[in-house]
Formats: sequence, structure tokens, C-alpha cells
Amino acid sequence: MEGYEDVSPLPLDTGFKDELCQIMYTDEYRMVVGTARALMERREYSERAKELTGRVIDLAPAYYTAWNYRFDILMHLARGNVELLNQELEWIDEVTLNNPKNYQIWSYKEAVLKNHPSPSFKRELPILQLMLDEDTKNYHVWSFRKWCVLFFGDFSHELGYTESLLERDVYNNSAWTHRMFVLKNTSPSHDHVLEEIEYVKGKIELVPQNISVWTYLRGLYENFLNANYDDEIIQFTSTFTHGVEEEDETDVNVEIESSCALEFIAHVYALRGGAMTRKAINAYKGLATKYDPIRKNLWELKISRVTKS
Amino acid sequence: MTSQDNGSKNPAAKLLGRKRSPIERVVPSEEESSSESEQSIVAMVKEMETETTEARDKLIHECRILLERDDLNTLDKEFHKKFLDSPFSHQLPPGMVALDASAPWLLYWVANGLRVMNPSWLERETQRRIQEKVFRINPHGGPFGGGMGQLPHLAGTYAIVNALAICDNTDGCWDKINRSSIYNWLLTLKREDGGFQTCFRVGEYDTRGVYCAISVASTLGLLTQELCENVVEFLVHCQNYEGGFGGVPHEDEAHGGYTFCAVASLAILGALDTINVEKLADWCSQRQYNDEKGLSGRSNKLVDVCYSFWVAGTAAILEAYGHGNCIDKAGLKEYILKCCQMTTRPGIRDKPGTKPDFYHTNYGLLGVAITENTFQLDPSVPNALKINSSAINPDDNSGLESINPVYGLPSRDLETFYKHFK
Ligand SMILES: [Zn+2]
Repeated sequence: MEGYEDVSPLPLDTGFKDELCQIMYTDEYRMVVGTARALMERREYSERAKELTGRVIDLAPAYYTAWNYRFDILMHLARGNVELLNQELEWIDEVTLNNPKNYQIWSYKEAVLKNHPSPSFKRELPILQLMLDEDTKNYHVWSFRKWCVLFFGDFSHELGYTESLLERDVYNNSAWTHRMFVLKNTSPSHDHVLEEIEYVKGKIELVPQNISVWTYLRGLYENFLNANYDDEIIQFTSTFTHGVEEEDETDVNVEIESSCALEFIAHVYALRGGAMTRKAINAYKGLATKYDPIRKNLWELKISRVTKS
Repeated sequence: MTSQDNGSKNPAAKLLGRKRSPIERVVPSEEESSSESEQSIVAMVKEMETETTEARDKLIHECRILLERDDLNTLDKEFHKKFLDSPFSHQLPPGMVALDASAPWLLYWVANGLRVMNPSWLERETQRRIQEKVFRINPHGGPFGGGMGQLPHLAGTYAIVNALAICDNTDGCWDKINRSSIYNWLLTLKREDGGFQTCFRVGEYDTRGVYCAISVASTLGLLTQELCENVVEFLVHCQNYEGGFGGVPHEDEAHGGYTFCAVASLAILGALDTINVEKLADWCSQRQYNDEKGLSGRSNKLVDVCYSFWVAGTAAILEAYGHGNCIDKAGLKEYILKCCQMTTRPGIRDKPGTKPDFYHTNYGLLGVAITENTFQLDPSVPNALKINSSAINPDDNSGLESINPVYGLPSRDLETFYKHFK
């Protein structure tokens, strides 16, 4: 291979004639990956070795050994060379765009940023935005975004950003959980929490049957309000349950706006206990028989739990 | 049958925010004016079409048709055997090079799928070839990487140890595992906060790494105090407000795969009581949808057969530890059999509209085994290694091996394997 004439590629297969699950490698693949293996074995930390790891990653992005080797090369070459690290970040962005589902990129990028003398969140924001625009629930990208926010200690873009995503798709659970991540890390004032609850209520009015938003609402109460569910939130919730929790027998003709609301109100009544236990049981019975029957086992566990206590 | 019949058959079908009337309005795009009158229309409309509902509606439609059919009521084991036999008798096409760092996974998925269906389908000769390949990948007996000349990796080591566990110590392969080398390597991957990095220097650092490390250490008898220090704390902090677990302890979104990894690890470490089990059960149960009957991996995401293991397996662990069963096993089985088997090609697929693959076939089969059994700890040995299962309905059963949900392995194999290292 040009530029690597002095290297003989190492084999990629075991050499057994009847090897299990053997992949039919192309000649190119054998050549590129085999040569990279040989360079790695000699611990060659050169520009050409780095270039070759890029070709391996191009052919098989999940080939983590190439990522590790590349990192070692970079650390050898980059000692104090910011330009090289910046070039590397550019290269990562390109690979990222071509391989949005890849696992390895993110820990690699974290490692590079940690070794950069002057990393910048500003630099990372556009690519993060682009990736999430393309795939709004990409787990790795969201997790990396959280890592960045913590690493750079900058929460200022996050609430606005998730708001725009929830505007686009109110069911986006990744965006909801990202909001909770922000709140839990920024010790919001009591007023801020109340404002957030108003925001959530607005989203519930838009689409009442949305598990993400009800779970988030419960998360707000549990994390910031000592799970003190006030009468107002009960009142609000009951507008979506049409009084099902008041009836000892489930009326199969009653349609409700949201089974999530019924689950929420059942939980609140179960917490309150005493005379409210009956309402919790009614709600769980309604869920089990009509409004969310596939989860019957859970509802019955809940009923037996509240009955005991 | 037409879809109109569904409303009466399935009372919940009307509920999910979209069945009452057709879509009245989509979200305004940015170019559209958002005058006050338009805003108020949006506020009045209780149903909204977004990327999420669009994808789900399409899938519900496909699942409904399949769930009403009667021809896929049983697990067609002989058919799936053909699918799993192929990578053990033919080379894989060049396009599979994406899995070049996942040879250990391929061995485990394929061999385990065969083994779970029928122990004799994993032939002695195949077992011999598995161990031959494994010890060519690492002639020193571990830790193991994804293939020839690849660096040791937690996932690869986990998958290889699992694959060897179902090989009956053929050719003495269990004695070729280098336990002390694996142990020392595990320690190098461990960080102070109790997490494990999948690969030395650069690698993911999440509950998946923890599970691979803890699972391997527990079967090989390497679970020392030193190795376990702070691991429980790390995992506890991965449970987020939703009740499930994210990958890392910074309020990541709850996810089926990471949840399983955390819960299975906690079970091995005897620390399930350190987490909020009730919220976890809520979250697991929320993953099951009335229309499709299958399980999703996150809130408002689509069902996928692999969560029949990751999420239903988590539920099975909770059941084994006395917390009750929080999912509808019969419904889930229906989803796997009717929506994820095909009459035209063998193997199990993720969901309608996708093609079968080895990964989903293995976890789909494990999922069926979970739906057909109840799980309990052995009272004499309260240990994750010894979870017993008993058939819910012995007359209507796929005849799969009983499995241990913590390890994703047939219980019988697991038992002989871990006892070998005692
Ligand atoms: Zn899947």
C-alpha cells in the first residue's frame, strides 16, 4: 500500500479453515486493517499511522481498537500542539456526521476535549444541534451533550434549546429528561420551579396523553417540592380523568383524556392515604379494567400495597 | 378484520390521544405565522401529530393486522434453527464487516439462541470450534477483544465468557480461561467512583461496562471486595427520576439496556434494596403498550423485541427477588410470536418492517422464555447465580430451556459453569 510499503499487514482471521462467523473481508479491508494492526504492534506513533486509523474507522466505525490506537498516536504527536488537536476535533465532527449511531466517537471526543488546553462549548454547540435536529432522540448525542454541559459548566443554552425541541415534538422524552438534568444541577429557586410547573401544565393541556410530561411533573414534585402535591394540581389533573377516581365501580362507558393523568392522581391519593385511599383504588381499578389494561399486574400490585398500608 | 373492530375489542385502543377523531392540526412550522388565533387553535386541539405519533401510528397499524392473524401462534424453533445455523456453516457477507469488532457477540448470540431452543442444537463440534476461535483471539486465555489483534474489551470479554459457559467445558476450555489475568485487567478499568471503562484509555463508561465486569467476575469467582468497592453507589446514582436507569450517573434518560445492566449488576451484588424498586417497576410496566403489546426501551419510543429481554428481564429479576410481576407476559409473548416472527424468513426481528438478525433472535428467544415462566430465588442459596424458574402453563409452552434472567444464559449451563470455578 502506498506510503506503507515497509509494513506487511497482519492477518485478520484465525487461520482455521472452518472458522465460525467468519466475515468475507474485501482485499481493501484486509490491507488497511491488517497494516494498521502491524503499525500498532510496532507502536508506531506517526502521522501516517494516524491517517491509517482514519481509514480503518471509515471502513468499520465500530472498530474500537483503531480509536484507541489513534488516541495514543494523537497524544504522542500533539504535545502542546493545539492546532493538531483542533484538526482532530474537525475530523471527529466529520466522522460523527457520517456515523450518527456510532458508540465509540463520544468517549473518544471526551478524551480529546479533556486533553485540549482550551476546549470550548461554543465550538461543540453547532454540531450537537445538527445531530439532534437530524435525530431528536439520539441517546449518545444527548448523553454527550450532558457531559459537555457539566464539563464546561455552562447550563445557559439548555432550557431554551429543549423548549424549541418540545415545540417541535412534545413527546420527546429525551428533551424532557434533559430539562430535569438542568434543574437538578442548577438548584432552581422556588419561583422557578413553580414557573416550570406552569410550563408543564401548558404542555399537558396541549396533549394530555403523554407519559413523558406526567413523569416529569411528578419528578418536579419529588425533587423540588418534597412530593407535596397541592390541591390545585389535583384539581388540574382531575380535569383529564372525568371523575373516574370518584367511582367505586368503573363505568366502562366513560372515556377519559389521559390514562397518565389517572396514574398520576392515583399515586397522589395513595400518598395522601386515609380517606383518599379509596380514590386511589378506584383509579387503579379503572386503569386495570379499562384505561391501561396491559399494565393490570402493576395496578393490582398497587392496589394490594395501598390496601395493606 | 378491519381496524374498525379494534375499538370494541381493545378498550384502551381509543385512549392514546389520537383515536377520538382524525388529526386536526399539525405543529406549526417556523415559517408559518403564529398569530394569536392560530395559537389558540393549537391549544384547543388535544391531539397533535409529531414525529413520535407518526412513527407509532404506522407501527400500531402494522401490529394490529399481525396480532389478529392466527398463523403465528407458536414459536417456530426448527425454522429459526436454520437462521442460526447459517453463520456456523457459511461465511458472512462483506457487508457484515460492521460487526468485525463484535465476533464475541456473534458467537454468543448465535450459540445461545440454539442452546436455549434445544441444548443438542449446539453440537459438540460447534462448541469445539467456538473455543478454538476464542483462544486464537487471545491465546493467553483472556481478557478478550472483539477479534484477532484487537484490544481487550469488557463487552467482548463478557460475550466470550457467556459463549464458553454454554460449551460444556469441551476440550477443557473452561480451564483455559485465565482468571487472574482477567481479574487484574478488570481492576485497571475501574475508576474511583465505582464505574468501569469498557476499554483501557478510551472507552465508554456506563452501566453496560459495569454489568459486563460484574457478570464475568461473578461467574468466574472473582467478585472481591476490592473489585466491588463503590460499584453499588455508582449504579444507584444512575437511576433517574423516571424510575429506570440511564447510562451514567448524571441524570441520563432512563433506557431499557442501561436499566437491565444496572439492575442485573445490583442483583449480583445483593443490593437491589438500595434503589427505588417501586419506581423501577412503574417504569418497566410503562414500557408495555396496549396496542402493540410489546415493550419499548424508553418513554414515547417504539416497541422493539430486544426489550423483551432488557426490560422484561429486569422485571423478571424483580419478580425473582419477591417484588411481584409488573408486566403482561402473555401479551408480550403475543407481540414476539406474531409481530416478530415471519412466515417468509427465519429468525426474529425487532419489529414489523425490519429484518431478522442474530441479536434480536437471541434476545427475542430469551424474551419468550421469560414470558412463559415465573422466577424465584432459590431459598437455600439467595444468589443471582441461582434463580429458579417454573413454567406458567406447561401445556402451552415453547419448550425452551429455563434461563437465568440476570445472565441471559440457560440456568443449567450457568450452574455447571460457575460451580466449576468454586
Ligand atoms: Zn432492538
